[in-house]
Amino acid sequence: MSLTPTEAGPLALPTGNGRGPARNPLGVFSRPRTTTGWRSWVTTVDHKKIGIMYGAAALVFFVIGGIEALLIRVQLATPSGQLLSADLYNQVFTMHGTTMVFLVVMPIGSALMNYLIPLQIGARDVAFPRLNAFGFWVFLAGGLMLNSSWLLGHAPDGGWFNYAPNNGVAFSPHHGIDFWNMGLIMTGLASLTGAINLIVTCLNMRAPGMTLMKMPVFTWMALVTQFLLLFAIPVLTSAQFLLMFDRLFGANFFNVEAGADPLLWEHLFWIFGHPEVYIMILPAFGVVSEIIPVFSRKPLFGYPFMVFSGIAIGFMGWGVWAHHMFASGIGPISVAAFSVSTMFIAVPTGVKVLNWLATMWGGKLRFSTPMLFAIGLVSMFTIGGLSGVTHAVSPSDTQQTDTYYIVAHFHYVLFGGALLGFLGGFYFWWPKAFGYALDDKLGKVNFWVILIGFNMTFGPMHILGLQGMPRRIYTYSDGYGFNFWNFVSTIGAFIIALAVVMFFANIVVSRRRARAAAKVMAADPWDGRSLEWMVPSPTPEHNFDEVPVITQFDDFWHRKYGEDDKGRPVRIAATADVVQTGDATDVHLPSPSYWPLVLAAGLPIVGYGLIYNLWLCLVGGLFVIAAIYGLTLEPASDDEAPHDHGGHGPAGDDTTTGAEAAPEQEAALVD
Amino acid sequence: MGAVARVRTFAPLAMVGLLAGCGDALDRHPQTMFESEGPAARTIQNLSVPVFAAAGVVFVIILAACLLVPLKFRAKDDDDFDEIPKQVHGNTRLEITWTIVPALIMAVVGVATVVTIFDLSADAEEGALKVEVIGQQWWWEYRYDLDGDGKFDEITTANDLVIPAERDIDLTITARDVIHSFWAPKLNGKRDAVPGREHPWSIEADQPGEYLGQCTEYCGLAHADMRIKVIALSEEDFAIWAEGQQEAARRYGESDTSPAAEGYRVFTQQLCSSCHVINGVNAGNRERFTPNGRIKDRSLQVSGYAPDLTHLMSRTTFAGGKFLLRKATPFCEALGVDWADDPEGRARCLNRAALEAWLRNPPAQKPMAPDQETEGIVGQLNPMTEPIGARGMPNLELSEDQIDQLVADLETLE
Repeated sequence: MSLTPTEAGPLALPTGNGRGPARNPLGVFSRPRTTTGWRSWVTTVDHKKIGIMYGAAALVFFVIGGIEALLIRVQLATPSGQLLSADLYNQVFTMHGTTMVFLVVMPIGSALMNYLIPLQIGARDVAFPRLNAFGFWVFLAGGLMLNSSWLLGHAPDGGWFNYAPNNGVAFSPHHGIDFWNMGLIMTGLASLTGAINLIVTCLNMRAPGMTLMKMPVFTWMALVTQFLLLFAIPVLTSAQFLLMFDRLFGANFFNVEAGADPLLWEHLFWIFGHPEVYIMILPAFGVVSEIIPVFSRKPLFGYPFMVFSGIAIGFMGWGVWAHHMFASGIGPISVAAFSVSTMFIAVPTGVKVLNWLATMWGGKLRFSTPMLFAIGLVSMFTIGGLSGVTHAVSPSDTQQTDTYYIVAHFHYVLFGGALLGFLGGFYFWWPKAFGYALDDKLGKVNFWVILIGFNMTFGPMHILGLQGMPRRIYTYSDGYGFNFWNFVSTIGAFIIALAVVMFFANIVVSRRRARAAAKVMAADPWDGRSLEWMVPSPTPEHNFDEVPVITQFDDFWHRKYGEDDKGRPVRIAATADVVQTGDATDVHLPSPSYWPLVLAAGLPIVGYGLIYNLWLCLVGGLFVIAAIYGLTLEPASDDEAPHDHGGHGPAGDDTTTGAEAAPEQEAALVD
Repeated sequence: MGAVARVRTFAPLAMVGLLAGCGDALDRHPQTMFESEGPAARTIQNLSVPVFAAAGVVFVIILAACLLVPLKFRAKDDDDFDEIPKQVHGNTRLEITWTIVPALIMAVVGVATVVTIFDLSADAEEGALKVEVIGQQWWWEYRYDLDGDGKFDEITTANDLVIPAERDIDLTITARDVIHSFWAPKLNGKRDAVPGREHPWSIEADQPGEYLGQCTEYCGLAHADMRIKVIALSEEDFAIWAEGQQEAARRYGESDTSPAAEGYRVFTQQLCSSCHVINGVNAGNRERFTPNGRIKDRSLQVSGYAPDLTHLMSRTTFAGGKFLLRKATPFCEALGVDWADDPEGRARCLNRAALEAWLRNPPAQKPMAPDQETEGIVGQLNPMTEPIGARGMPNLELSEDQIDQLVADLETLE
């Protein structure tokens, strides 16, 4: 597939032209053409629909992982809890961690990155749309296969880190670990294909004039994240393949009696595992780097520093993995080296926090819901960052590691950091994706409830950890001083659950209200700065009517505002005059396809086959090979389909689009 | 916990803390990492308290900024929307400053950390007591090298690590199945017990006393119940204890019909003696055990070992430290490791109910996997891993009489 710009603009995708390969490869399917209804979703190659599906799937898994969290908290609310057996507890905490990392935080990041990167760089889609669809379906297949272990006897119980040799057959005789292996190999495929896709998109499909140093910071952080994924995921996948061969065919990679060293798994896991931390947090850093300037009405303070600190984190993130292993028995020189490298990764992170604060300094701050979540991230992440520095002090870490102090630390990073950022992102971009805003008043209550619940749940864990409560224990005894704070923490967990219910309620309420009011959402409700606010809300299928030519960072904002003769910023154009109308003529988009879904569906068949019956692998393998042929032989676009894709909003949303006459609201912030 | 550290710990929770100041004030915190009672733990504490304090200061500054900056620069209701704040794009000098300052702070912390790392990894002192610490699912075994011949073959015990106070203890930490981690927080940080590896570690207690800890690397089902107790004795008491530990248990003649003798026969004739070693009784059984006590039949116990019972009654806990063997009364605790030396101590201090419940049905008392798994198991394709052996103690279906007799026998293993 050539990426050379054609005369139709840099974003047009090459067509099949009807010559060359067959139109109905393998003669199985006729080319899907629907743009509404469920079929349009399962065959879509539109980055926006795929992004929305990532988000929806992640929220479903979030509920599952949240229920697991509540089970953990109820079990630990009092000493000698009786709700779960040790066996069940071990499955629940393993699945809670695995779900939240691989099926919630990572895919929410994917959702935002898929939806926003093309919009922020002025593109009509990602570089490889069908590969993008495959990525989503294989992620979903992996997540479902992993969770199907609950129904098929025994969920994985080795912890999300799944150390050898406890992950071997002798110590984990049930199939749970095999489900963990197969499921995560599949979600890893999704991450890997997504990484290649989005890297190529960022590097090759930017609008004319958008140099790398004019790219929005969210897209920059996404690009760094994708490079991390590109190199980190193969390490985990390799380790999982070794483990799979160990468990299923007696390969002895991690069998101590055959001479293996269990530290091999630890190293492999954490060489993946630490970059993984930045994979989860950098997209959220990108989100707040978009939100804070908009609601401060100032450009991001120190854009180059923000970009380069993100890149620095990306590089340094590879040199700190052994800080997860300070107690593992690696020698003092390794410990010293990884201590020091870990301390210095705090520097670029600190730069980010201070630059966010400096962005707010001197601004005119509006505390809409997204801004509250963004400030929430800055403050809560700082707590997680500081406790992180105390782990870098390795002698101190030999006391803290594997206690609840660590649990507190990474929840401040991943919940107080990533998740608060993502929720802020949802509130921020919801109007763009769905054509209606989430209710701001409910959103603010939502924020405060989640902030209180979060601090009540994870704050006390600092104390519990320093008082010596280890992690991953299904129970604790009376008399250790753990009772009170555990109980507080459990109450906090239910407050978080309430906040999550409020978030979903907000979606329902706001959607219903928007349908009744039938108002057209403004293209630019927040007085935004980046290109996604230039297109109508919800984003039309073709994104941009015409591709904007970029002259500077925050180009869209500078179309609205200039400087007077004294150098003060003044409005130079009404928002309505600079946004696009969603009116596309002769835009050519990649056509929908069944093959990504078919290809993704073949992989779990292989997975179940490896566990239950090797003959099934043959069936699944044939399925996969056929789908690869189908996908390859199918032209990227269906030249018999009508070319006018303009004006279609996401299916199921029957609100009129900006193409029709209803006058747009002026930026919502004005009133 | 130092005052400053307390600030750091509690500061994030100021909000919640207000509600709850009273909570656990009266509780003990036997595993806290801020009450060091040995040199290694003290070295760590001396490093971590200032670091926590520095982190606390940064925490207060940043959190205050996160609160005050937004409040100071919030838009007023009567602001004109089209009046836009000055568009500041950055300030290189400022940004370089706040890159370099944290880097300098980190450099200072880094130097202190590296110095401490090498302090702590110094070789054991001359005259240190050498003990091998071995983790297995789900209990700890301790083997002592008293004569300095490099073989840990003088004493074998479990659950309680008995040491002399004020003497460096040179530990060699390893494991027999999966990874565990040895941790007695008041004496030192933790060190993983990894099968196939021997990790040096050292502890020292300032004074006689009992120091609690537990396994801190997730090791499967009963990870939470894999407890550690270090008991430090004075040099004299330790010498007495060590001598007592090297004695063999008595055997009973055929004609002896006392309950203890009946219990002895239960022990030797039931499955007990296929796994548990008692010195002087079945330790030399070469059909069942290797010279160092490994169970030859792997299916009986994956790790190859069960706790040595020769001096069970000199321990304060059983079942991997989950249950108290010596009752937790002031009278009994004052007797220390000698609580079972005389009949009165045994009568008043033996936690008979717990021991009987254990013998009645061990897997009901502590999560274990004592039965060979046969259904729903991986491995049809994996010849290397069959059969999957037992992990932990099975239910031996003993009668109440047998349990009474066994307890009577065990009571004599002082």
